[in-house]
Amino acid sequence: MVRVRVKIIDTDQEWLVEAENGARIRDVLEKLDLNPEEYIVSRNGEVVAEDEEVGEGDLIILYPVVSGG
Amino acid sequence: MVSCSFCGRKAVYVSKALGRAYCKKHFLEYFDKKVRRTIRKHRMFSEKETIIVAVSGGKDSLALLHYLVRLSKRVPGWTIKALLVDEGIRGYREITIKDFLRLVDELGVEYRIVRFKDELGYTLDEIIEIGRRKKLPYHPCSYCGVFRRYLLNKAAREMGGTVIATAHNLDDVIQTYLMNIIKNSWEKIVRLGPVSGITGHPRFVRKVKPFYEILEKESALYAVLNNLYPKFVECPYAQQSMRWYLRKYINNLEEMYPGTKYSMLRSLLRIIQLLEDKTNKIIEGEIRSCRICGEPASHDLCRACTYRLELGIMDEKGNIIRNIDTGASGNQLPR
Repeated sequence: MVRVRVKIIDTDQEWLVEAENGARIRDVLEKLDLNPEEYIVSRNGEVVAEDEEVGEGDLIILYPVVSGG
Repeated sequence: MVSCSFCGRKAVYVSKALGRAYCKKHFLEYFDKKVRRTIRKHRMFSEKETIIVAVSGGKDSLALLHYLVRLSKRVPGWTIKALLVDEGIRGYREITIKDFLRLVDELGVEYRIVRFKDELGYTLDEIIEIGRRKKLPYHPCSYCGVFRRYLLNKAAREMGGTVIATAHNLDDVIQTYLMNIIKNSWEKIVRLGPVSGITGHPRFVRKVKPFYEILEKESALYAVLNNLYPKFVECPYAQQSMRWYLRKYINNLEEMYPGTKYSMLRSLLRIIQLLEDKTNKIIEGEIRSCRICGEPASHDLCRACTYRLELGIMDEKGNIIRNIDTGASGNQLPR
């Protein structure tokens, strides 16, 4: 199991998620009921595709794609 | 590691619909090619234009301004100006204005900010409260959309604009398409093309959508990769709209069936084409001038003046009626 921290930028929405070894970012988002279609993902400060695997201690920052208004 | 389909570097974007992955460099190239193709295919701009970019301060419009300013460096006959309409939405617009000012300053672009409060006498928050008290049947987004389009056209013309570029992306367009199918508003669907609006009226400035074929996710990624992504803030009225639900629904469909969005856009373009010959029958009546303000109208009065009269914020001669009580705080947020 790996533990990753997920945060939506500029909000107080933040989670600590446990995922299977080899899980991808999209699997983590699914656990949180978030649609990967609606976020740009940065992992440890670098923009990545949501099909990347997650590793222990990763910090995932999500940039909402849906515009504000 | 997910690798770029073109160079093998680490991918920042995967398009399941196209079956390709892109690194930063190849994503930006793909984005540029796609927008230029849209502009060319729909003849959005000629060699000499004063392009007024409608900017809200959200990521899509910041991305469009950034993109067009860069592109304009290759076209000597283009002048780019930015226009922001400040509706006066407390806790929202004042934040996005900061991001707007930062970018126009960085790019050195001439700009103008037009305010509902100055032009109509009231902020959107106040207008919504007046509408509620009068029990008018309109949704906050209806007032906002009508007045924003009205002021955009008027201000763009005053700025010498020959064309208005808006940042509507593919997602926006197909959401509107679906909303209008549900409402049986075919006259709005035939106007949903990449170059839109009423032509042939002297006061009308043509509108184009260079991001017509760009997915919302792609425009957000362009903003993030170019350090344009603004402080994330949501319009307090957005969640009250049908668009909010349709967007979620379409995004879920896209996740389950990649390519759904492109397919919906093709469906829209096809129906516009099929309805072309019938357009005059669908859009009833000719284009007139509003008897109060003189702006383009499909009836005796334009929509903005109709709303203003119904709200009681303007008299029949077009004078603003001020000092209407809009509640203790002046600005009421949605309940």
